[in-house]
Amino acid sequence: MRNFTESARPPRTVFLEWPMGHPLGEPGNVAQQMRVIRDALSALVEIKEPGTIIDLPYRWGRQEDISAFECACDGDE
Amino acid sequence: MGRLKNKLFAKILTRLPALGTALFDKKGNAIEGLSLETIPWTPVTKPLSESTIALVTTAGIHLKSQTPFDMHDSMGDPTFRELPLDTPPGELTITHDYYDHADADKDINVVYPVDRMRELVEAGEIGSLVPVNFGFMGHIDGHYVKRLIEQTGPEVADRLKAMGADAVLLTPG
Repeated sequence: MRNFTESARPPRTVFLEWPMGHPLGEPGNVAQQMRVIRDALSALVEIKEPGTIIDLPYRWGRQEDISAFECACDGDE
Repeated sequence: MGRLKNKLFAKILTRLPALGTALFDKKGNAIEGLSLETIPWTPVTKPLSESTIALVTTAGIHLKSQTPFDMHDSMGDPTFRELPLDTPPGELTITHDYYDHADADKDINVVYPVDRMRELVEAGEIGSLVPVNFGFMGHIDGHYVKRLIEQTGPEVADRLKAMGADAVLLTPG
Protein backbone atom coordinates (compact mmCIF):
# COMPACT_ATOMS: atom_id res chain seq x y z
CA MET A 1 0.00 0.00 0.00
CA ARG A 2 3.06 2.26 -0.18
CA ASN A 3 1.64 3.62 -3.41
CA PHE A 4 -1.14 5.44 -1.54
CA THR A 5 1.45 7.35 0.46
CA GLU A 6 3.42 8.17 -2.66
CA SER A 7 0.24 9.54 -4.31
CA ALA A 8 -0.81 11.66 -1.33
CA ARG A 9 2.69 13.21 -1.18
CA PRO A 10 3.00 13.97 2.54
CA PRO A 11 6.07 16.05 3.40
CA ARG A 12 7.64 13.43 5.69
CA THR A 13 6.77 9.75 6.06
CA VAL A 14 7.91 6.67 7.94
CA PHE A 15 6.52 3.52 6.32
CA LEU A 16 6.02 0.03 7.73
CA GLU A 17 4.99 -3.00 5.74
CA TRP A 18 2.61 -4.12 8.48
CA PRO A 19 -1.03 -5.23 8.15
CA MET A 20 -3.60 -2.51 7.56
CA GLY A 21 -5.06 -1.14 10.76
CA HIS A 22 -1.78 -1.46 12.66
CA PRO A 23 0.35 1.63 11.92
CA LEU A 24 1.65 1.65 15.50
CA GLY A 25 1.80 -2.13 15.87
CA GLU A 26 0.09 -4.57 18.18
CA PRO A 27 -2.54 -3.77 20.83
CA GLY A 28 -1.01 -3.43 24.27
CA ASN A 29 2.57 -3.46 22.97
CA VAL A 30 3.63 -0.14 24.47
CA ALA A 31 7.32 -0.53 23.65
CA GLN A 32 6.57 -1.25 19.99
CA GLN A 33 4.15 1.68 19.69
CA MET A 34 6.66 4.01 21.35
CA ARG A 35 9.45 2.91 19.02
CA VAL A 36 7.40 3.77 15.92
CA ILE A 37 6.36 7.15 17.33
CA ARG A 38 9.94 8.04 18.27
CA ASP A 39 11.08 7.09 14.76
CA ALA A 40 8.34 9.28 13.28
CA LEU A 41 9.29 12.21 15.51
CA SER A 42 12.96 11.74 14.61
CA ALA A 43 11.99 11.82 10.94
CA LEU A 44 10.34 15.19 11.51
CA VAL A 45 13.76 16.61 12.28
CA GLU A 46 15.95 14.42 10.07
CA ILE A 47 14.09 14.60 6.76
CA LYS A 48 15.29 17.59 4.75
CA GLU A 49 13.87 16.72 1.32
CA PRO A 50 10.08 17.16 0.91
CA GLY A 51 8.32 13.89 0.12
CA THR A 52 10.94 11.62 1.67
CA ILE A 53 9.65 8.20 2.76
CA ILE A 54 11.75 6.32 5.32
CA ASP A 55 11.13 2.56 5.27
CA LEU A 56 11.45 1.37 8.85
CA PRO A 57 13.17 -2.03 9.15
CA TYR A 58 10.79 -3.67 11.60
CA ARG A 59 9.09 -6.87 10.43
CA TRP A 60 5.63 -7.94 11.52
CA GLY A 61 6.23 -10.59 14.12
CA ARG A 62 2.90 -11.72 15.54
CA GLN A 63 2.85 -15.43 14.89
CA GLU A 64 -0.91 -15.83 14.45
CA ASP A 65 -0.87 -13.37 11.56
CA ILE A 66 2.15 -15.02 9.94
CA SER A 67 0.46 -18.44 10.25
CA ALA A 68 -2.73 -17.13 8.66
CA PHE A 69 -0.67 -15.68 5.81
CA GLU A 70 1.18 -18.98 5.24
CA CYS A 71 -2.03 -21.04 5.38
CA ALA A 72 -3.70 -18.83 2.80
CA CYS A 73 -0.66 -18.99 0.52
CA ASP A 74 -0.56 -22.79 0.81
CA GLY A 75 -4.20 -22.92 -0.18
CA ASP A 76 -3.51 -20.92 -3.33
CA GLU A 77 -0.98 -23.39 -4.61
CA MET B 1 -25.03 -6.58 2.51
CA GLY B 2 -22.64 -4.01 1.05
CA ARG B 3 -21.19 -3.26 4.49
CA LEU B 4 -20.69 -6.97 5.20
CA LYS B 5 -18.83 -7.41 1.91
CA ASN B 6 -16.59 -4.42 2.69
CA LYS B 7 -15.83 -5.73 6.18
CA LEU B 8 -14.98 -9.21 4.89
CA PHE B 9 -12.67 -7.77 2.24
CA ALA B 10 -11.03 -5.60 4.90
CA LYS B 11 -10.37 -8.63 7.09
CA ILE B 12 -8.76 -10.49 4.19
CA LEU B 13 -6.57 -7.48 3.30
CA THR B 14 -5.46 -7.13 6.91
CA ARG B 15 -4.38 -10.77 7.09
CA LEU B 16 -2.87 -10.76 3.59
CA PRO B 17 -0.95 -7.51 3.13
CA ALA B 18 0.70 -8.98 0.03
CA LEU B 19 -2.73 -9.09 -1.60
CA GLY B 20 -3.18 -5.38 -0.99
CA THR B 21 0.21 -4.71 -2.52
CA ALA B 22 -0.69 -6.81 -5.56
CA LEU B 23 -4.05 -5.12 -6.01
CA PHE B 24 -3.11 -1.51 -5.41
CA ASP B 25 0.61 -0.99 -5.85
CA LYS B 26 0.68 -1.76 -9.57
CA LYS B 27 -1.23 1.38 -10.46
CA GLY B 28 0.76 4.45 -11.36
CA ASN B 29 -1.35 6.63 -9.08
CA ALA B 30 -3.20 4.83 -6.30
CA ILE B 31 -5.67 7.63 -5.61
CA GLU B 32 -7.95 8.36 -8.54
CA GLY B 33 -8.44 12.03 -9.25
CA LEU B 34 -5.49 13.07 -7.11
CA SER B 35 -2.74 14.91 -8.91
CA LEU B 36 -0.49 16.93 -6.66
CA GLU B 37 2.28 18.99 -8.18
CA THR B 38 3.77 20.30 -4.99
CA ILE B 39 4.57 18.89 -1.58
CA PRO B 40 3.70 21.06 1.42
CA TRP B 41 6.73 21.89 3.51
CA THR B 42 7.14 23.68 6.80
CA PRO B 43 10.68 23.76 8.20
CA VAL B 44 11.23 22.64 11.78
CA THR B 45 12.37 25.64 13.78
CA LYS B 46 12.39 24.44 17.39
CA PRO B 47 13.30 21.29 19.31
CA LEU B 48 10.64 18.62 19.91
CA SER B 49 10.86 19.27 23.63
CA GLU B 50 9.49 22.76 22.99
CA SER B 51 7.03 21.82 20.24
CA THR B 52 3.26 21.45 20.32
CA ILE B 53 2.17 18.33 18.47
CA ALA B 54 -1.26 17.38 17.08
CA LEU B 55 -2.69 14.03 16.05
CA VAL B 56 -4.79 13.59 12.93
CA THR B 57 -5.96 10.10 12.08
CA THR B 58 -7.83 8.67 9.11
CA ALA B 59 -8.78 5.53 11.06
CA GLY B 60 -12.46 6.46 11.43
CA ILE B 61 -12.24 7.44 15.09
CA HIS B 62 -14.95 9.52 16.73
CA LEU B 63 -16.66 10.00 20.07
CA LYS B 64 -19.57 7.70 20.79
CA SER B 65 -21.72 10.84 21.18
CA GLN B 66 -20.86 12.07 17.66
CA THR B 67 -22.48 11.10 14.37
CA PRO B 68 -20.62 8.06 12.98
CA PHE B 69 -18.87 8.31 9.61
CA ASP B 70 -21.14 7.43 6.66
CA MET B 71 -20.66 3.79 5.71
CA HIS B 72 -23.48 3.70 3.17
CA ASP B 73 -21.94 6.10 0.63
CA SER B 74 -19.50 4.09 -1.48
CA MET B 75 -17.46 7.26 -2.08
CA GLY B 76 -16.76 7.51 1.64
CA ASP B 77 -17.17 10.43 4.03
CA PRO B 78 -14.91 13.51 3.76
CA THR B 79 -16.05 15.07 7.06
CA PHE B 80 -14.06 15.11 10.30
CA ARG B 81 -14.70 14.75 14.02
CA GLU B 82 -13.17 16.68 16.91
CA LEU B 83 -11.29 14.44 19.35
CA PRO B 84 -10.70 16.42 22.57
CA LEU B 85 -7.55 15.44 24.39
CA ASP B 86 -9.44 15.04 27.65
CA THR B 87 -11.91 12.51 26.21
CA PRO B 88 -12.43 9.80 28.87
CA PRO B 89 -11.14 6.32 27.99
CA GLY B 90 -13.94 4.30 26.51
CA GLU B 91 -15.64 7.28 24.88
CA LEU B 92 -13.80 6.80 21.61
CA THR B 93 -15.04 4.37 18.98
CA ILE B 94 -14.30 3.47 15.35
CA THR B 95 -16.66 3.50 12.37
CA HIS B 96 -14.74 2.33 9.30
CA ASP B 97 -15.65 -0.77 7.27
CA TYR B 98 -12.64 -0.63 4.98
CA TYR B 99 -10.00 -2.04 7.34
CA ASP B 100 -10.16 -4.60 10.12
CA HIS B 101 -10.06 -2.57 13.35
CA ALA B 102 -10.51 -5.46 15.78
CA ASP B 103 -7.05 -4.79 17.27
CA ALA B 104 -7.60 -1.02 17.36
CA ASP B 105 -10.88 -1.65 19.20
CA LYS B 106 -8.83 -3.39 21.90
CA ASP B 107 -6.20 -0.62 22.06
CA ILE B 108 -6.96 2.66 20.28
CA ASN B 109 -3.24 3.55 20.42
CA VAL B 110 -2.67 1.13 17.54
CA VAL B 111 -4.13 3.78 15.21
CA TYR B 112 -4.45 6.88 17.45
CA PRO B 113 -1.50 6.94 19.86
CA VAL B 114 -2.90 9.51 22.26
CA ASP B 115 -1.74 7.71 25.42
CA ARG B 116 1.79 7.28 24.07
CA MET B 117 1.94 10.99 23.16
CA ARG B 118 0.82 11.97 26.65
CA GLU B 119 3.63 9.80 28.06
CA LEU B 120 6.14 11.57 25.80
CA VAL B 121 4.93 14.93 27.13
CA GLU B 122 5.30 13.69 30.73
CA ALA B 123 8.82 12.47 29.89
CA GLY B 124 9.69 15.89 28.45
CA GLU B 125 10.46 14.52 24.99
CA ILE B 126 7.80 16.69 23.38
CA GLY B 127 6.54 20.02 24.65
CA SER B 128 2.77 19.68 24.61
CA LEU B 129 -0.26 18.45 22.70
CA VAL B 130 -3.05 20.52 21.19
CA PRO B 131 -6.29 20.35 23.21
CA VAL B 132 -8.29 18.94 20.29
CA ASN B 133 -7.11 16.37 17.74
CA PHE B 134 -9.05 15.37 14.61
CA GLY B 135 -10.44 12.17 13.14
CA PHE B 136 -11.16 11.48 9.47
CA MET B 137 -12.35 8.34 7.72
CA GLY B 138 -9.68 7.32 5.23
CA HIS B 139 -11.82 5.76 2.54
CA ILE B 140 -12.33 8.86 0.37
CA ASP B 141 -13.08 8.46 -3.31
CA GLY B 142 -14.50 10.27 -6.34
CA HIS B 143 -15.66 13.85 -5.90
CA TYR B 144 -15.01 13.69 -2.14
CA VAL B 145 -11.25 13.80 -2.79
CA LYS B 146 -11.68 17.39 -4.03
CA ARG B 147 -13.85 18.29 -1.04
CA LEU B 148 -11.28 16.87 1.34
CA ILE B 149 -8.44 18.79 -0.30
CA GLU B 150 -10.29 22.10 -0.77
CA GLN B 151 -12.59 22.24 2.26
CA THR B 152 -12.34 19.86 5.20
CA GLY B 153 -8.57 19.35 5.08
CA PRO B 154 -7.74 23.09 5.05
CA GLU B 155 -10.37 23.74 7.75
CA VAL B 156 -8.64 21.28 10.08
CA ALA B 157 -5.23 22.72 9.19
CA ASP B 158 -6.45 26.24 10.06
CA ARG B 159 -7.83 25.05 13.38
CA LEU B 160 -4.59 23.26 14.25
CA LYS B 161 -2.61 26.41 13.44
CA ALA B 162 -4.94 28.45 15.63
CA MET B 163 -4.26 26.02 18.50
CA GLY B 164 -0.52 26.53 18.07
CA ALA B 165 0.41 23.19 16.54
CA ASP B 166 4.03 23.08 15.38
CA ALA B 167 3.73 19.63 13.79
CA VAL B 168 1.09 16.99 13.11
CA LEU B 169 1.46 13.23 13.37
CA LEU B 170 -0.83 11.64 10.76
CA THR B 171 -1.85 8.04 11.29
CA PRO B 172 -3.83 5.86 8.86
CA GLY B 173 -6.22 3.01 9.56
